Parts: sequence; C-alpha cells; structure tokens
Amino acid sequence: MNRVVITGIGVVTPIGNTRDAFWSALVEARSGIGPITIIPTERLNTRIAAQVLDFKPGDHFDPKREGLLDRFAQFAVVAARSALRDSGLELTEEIALDAATIIGNSTGGMNTLDDSFLRLYSQNGTRAHPLSIPRLMSNAACSAISMDLGLKGPTYTIASACSSGTHAIGQAFQMVRTGQAPIALTGGTEACLTVGTFKGWEALRVLSSDTCRPFSRTRSGLVLGEGASMFVLETREHAIARGAPIYAELLGFGMSADAGDITAIDPSGAARAMRAALKDGKVNPDDVDYVNAHGTGTVLNDKGETIALRHAFGDAADHLAVSSSKGVLGHSLGAAGAVELAATALALHHQIIPPTANFEEADPDCDLDYVPNTARNAPIKNAMSSSFAFGGLNAVLVLGRA
Amino acid sequence: MAIIDDVRSIIAKSLNIPVDQLTPDKRLDELGAESLDVIEIVFALEEKYDIAIPLQANDATRVSASGKIDGKTEDKSEGQDKSGNSELPFSTVGDVAEMVEKLVAAKASK
Repeated sequence: MNRVVITGIGVVTPIGNTRDAFWSALVEARSGIGPITIIPTERLNTRIAAQVLDFKPGDHFDPKREGLLDRFAQFAVVAARSALRDSGLELTEEIALDAATIIGNSTGGMNTLDDSFLRLYSQNGTRAHPLSIPRLMSNAACSAISMDLGLKGPTYTIASACSSGTHAIGQAFQMVRTGQAPIALTGGTEACLTVGTFKGWEALRVLSSDTCRPFSRTRSGLVLGEGASMFVLETREHAIARGAPIYAELLGFGMSADAGDITAIDPSGAARAMRAALKDGKVNPDDVDYVNAHGTGTVLNDKGETIALRHAFGDAADHLAVSSSKGVLGHSLGAAGAVELAATALALHHQIIPPTANFEEADPDCDLDYVPNTARNAPIKNAMSSSFAFGGLNAVLVLGRA
Repeated sequence: MAIIDDVRSIIAKSLNIPVDQLTPDKRLDELGAESLDVIEIVFALEEKYDIAIPLQANDATRVSASGKIDGKTEDKSEGQDKSGNSELPFSTVGDVAEMVEKLVAAKASK
C-alpha cells in the first residue's frame, strides 16, 4: 500500500480565499460570522451566517462558463485550481487520465434550485432556465473540476450531509493508497445559504441567534456557513521524487453509522469511527496530540462528542488538545469536513494548534482541553479530524506530520 | 374545541400516546418526547393557530428527554439552568396549552 500525502491545499472560505489568509484568521480566532447580506432577509428569523463575501465569479470565469456553474461549483473549481497550483504538480497526460476527483457536498446547486422555484411557484414563471438541471445536479461540482483541470479518472460526488467532505477525502485517500489513482483532487464544497435553506434550519431550532461558541457552557446553537476546500493527494514517494511541499500524511480513515437517531449524535457510533481511523492508521491514542472536532456549538453535539472522545481515547483524552473551527468558519455542512481538514493539515504543518473561538466559560459536560480563544505552539505528531452527520453517518481521518 | 384539547390531540399524535393519558400535569420529557418531537409539536401548533412560539436553539433539547446521551439523563432539577439560557417556555402539557392561549390572545388583541 502506498503512503499518501497532501501536497496542495486550496480554500474559498468566509475568512479568506488563500491558504495564508485562512490560516491566520483561524489562528487569531477572527470569526467569519456576520450579518446576512447575500440574500434577502425579510422572511428570515436568522440574522447571521458565515458567508463567503470576497468572491466575484467574474474574476474566475468568463461569462459563458460562469453561467454554467452554480455558486457551489464555482467555489469548488476556484479551490481546486488553487490546490493544484499550490502542489506545483504538472498534470501530464498519463497522470490526468487516471486522476481521481472525489468531492463531497451535502446538497447541490441550492441557489439555482431556490431561484427556479421562486420563479415558478411565486412569480408565475412558465419556464425554467435551460441550464437549471446541469447547474443544480449534485455532481455539478466534481464534474466542473474534472472539466476545468482535465482530470479523467474516477470522478464522483459523495453526499453524506455534514460528513460529505470527510467521506470524499477518505475515499480519495483509499484510491491513491491502493494505486487505483496516481493522484486525487478531493475535498468538499457547499453554497446553500438560501432563504429555503434557512427556513428549514430555523424549523429545526438549532440555529444560534448570536454566534457559534463550541464547547462553551453558553453555547447557543450552530451558525450556517458556506465555502470549499480542495486538496491534491499523491503518494509520498511521488511527492518526494518531485520535491513537492508536503503538508501532512494521511494515515487512517474510519467510518461508522449510528443506526439510531436521525439528528442526535450517538457517542458510541462517533467513537467507533474514531477508533476505526486510529486502527487503520496504526496510530495509538497516546500518539495523537490534536483533534479538530466536529464541535457544532449545539448542546447535544458538543456534549456527545466529548463523551465519544473519552470513549475512543480513554485516559489519553486528558492529554489531547481539542478545538472546533466552527466559531470562525460556521458550519458549511458538506464542506465542513474539508475546510476543517485544511485546518488540521495546516496545524501539523505549522505545529500550531488553532483555538476554539468565542469560548466563554467551561461546561461541566465538556471537560476536555478545548484550546479556548488563543492558539498554542505545541509539538503535533498526529492529529484527527472528525465529522458527524445527520442520519447518523460518521467519518474520521487521522493525519501525521510530514 | 378548546386549545387544551388541540394541544392534547397534537401531542398524542406526535408521541403516539392515547389522548386520555395526556393530563395537563404530564411533563413532556416524562412522556418520552425527544427534541425532534418537541419541534414537531411546536410546528403543528404554530401552523394551527398562526402564531410564533419562542423556542430557542437549546430549548427543545432541554424540554425533551433526548438530553439523554449514553444512558445518562440530563439533570433537569428545578431552578438549575446549565446552559445559561432564559426560563424554558414550557415543560408540561398544561404549560404548552397556557402558552398557546396567551399567544392566541395576544394575536387577537392586536
């Protein structure tokens, strides 16, 4: 089996569209959460979200191409181009023919869907835009990346709600590991901040009215976000041979299903995925220094995730640094696992643990070290990134220092 | 139909419990309501009476028994407010009816 490394990282996020801007905002706990400005808010009770504000499609696409792509596919292509550029990889015909493109997104072109329905049902429109279907299909992002970069190997979308990004990266990791693909372009994307999406989440009553405070006693719910993060994966041998930068090595991937509640986290299911990832990577719990948690900022998730970490790590949990990036990034659903993997890989690369932003006070139910508000210089040998999805689907990646 | 009867029948349907067992003093958590059940009950009442019930992000979890994780039940002792939020809008069947009555009256007086 091949050893697999991350050699390129690209991001489009509420805190910046370059790797450096993204990382400095994370380390400084500068939140991308703010007042909703990208859609009309008259009918919303929600006032805040983590929006990608610094993004003009015209800067990246000619008008004809732009018209083909929903916002979630635009994010995906821009992040994928950045990741490929970052890796310095030259896409030869030989590599491109077998290169995998595995992308996670929980929905599809929600902006396109929302606009079409508004026109048809509310404004008595009689016809939909002819590009509605290619724009909104769930595989639009992976197909757009494949076409934009000329990647011609296994290409598909994985949809598992909030675990989509992590499942996709895990799948791409396996393909490069087993030699099915020489390289993979993988990650997650989501752009579903539409009126319809907000109304649906409002009805679930899990949205915070002020901000996202993971693991804090005063946490008040999650904040929706959007964005994308993409990665170039290749074998360690290939990366070293071409003198490529290596951010981190992917060591293990673990998955599980709770087969229980549709929305609530099941600590035993989450812990099973964590243990599976450690076992797959042959990493002892004692050798993990940092966990980038799912940490949504809801009462139930953060308490359940804490229990899961204690189950999976045993006594080693007391020596773990655990942080959630959602106080800064919000919850970008299918993209969350990918943007958080970028945070985890960069933590290993810089040997700095990004903090849990907006942390106010300790909760007796959340009794781990959450690295509140201030980043920490600390040796990180191995790290974990976790995602837990509605529908009870859990996905966990374990990474090692390059 | 009195509001209390509507409330009882909506809760009965959501929790699949015979309506005659839903006396006003029954607590939703003791009836086995999970957070999604609470959210569905609130939604049904909002739709029926065209009112907005103030139930914030954490309240549904606190009203319900689904604060139960790994077999451990959340401490729901009176007066203790672990998440630092305001008073819960309701905890019993009677509380729900009383809240709906107030909201309906407030709407009528507008």
